[in-house]
Amino acid sequence: MGVAEERIDRLHDLARAAASECEHERARHYVRLARRIAERNRLSLPRTFKRFTCDACDAYLVPGKNARVRLQDGHVVVTCDCGHQARYPYEEQ
Amino acid sequence: MALTPETLPRHELNGLPVRVAESDDPGTVGLEGIVVIETTNTLQIEVRDDGGSRVVQVSKSGSVFEFAITDDAADLEKGSGTTSKLADSQPDSSEHDSDESDRAGEGVAYVTVDGSRLLSRPARRTETNGDSPWQ
Repeated sequence: MGVAEERIDRLHDLARAAASECEHERARHYVRLARRIAERNRLSLPRTFKRFTCDACDAYLVPGKNARVRLQDGHVVVTCDCGHQARYPYEEQ
Repeated sequence: MALTPETLPRHELNGLPVRVAESDDPGTVGLEGIVVIETTNTLQIEVRDDGGSRVVQVSKSGSVFEFAITDDAADLEKGSGTTSKLADSQPDSSEHDSDESDRAGEGVAYVTVDGSRLLSRPARRTETNGDSPWQ
């Protein structure tokens, strides 16, 4: 694993910790930095990172705190406090 | 490429415990805390006093920082025999006058880095002298 991937991992943890302490601006800063590192190093972000961050405002999403998570027919809808919605599919077992 | 004394100047600084060892600004010498935000020319260090915490912005140029690398990173570093690697990279790093690591306790390595080596945009620091396939 390269330095860039590790930095992204660390930033993910830092963003989660900052968001859980209600330091939302700081969490946003970490998310933006992780995105920028991935972009510069041509890496794709981990799936958990993509699903727990807002594409529009870069907030780290904590369901129940600044994000609403609802199940609909065949897909999950995550709504950020900024109003942006992200959808991803789920498979029924 | 774990976080080791050699990779530290290219690695993530946010979240690391740091002490300002030397500085041109006498007010910041000896500050101890955790790096919370890095900018091109400064580090913002969160200092916990009894009671609350405050964030102090310290200029990178003209300062010498001592980072503490803890837990898994330090273990890895012991396992992989960093001392030999450090010897290899010695001529390179002595140019920039920095990077000595001395171990104090179990699982903690202290790395002293001259702030001028960290002068770069946070996202660009990883690439500058790295193992990038494009250079």
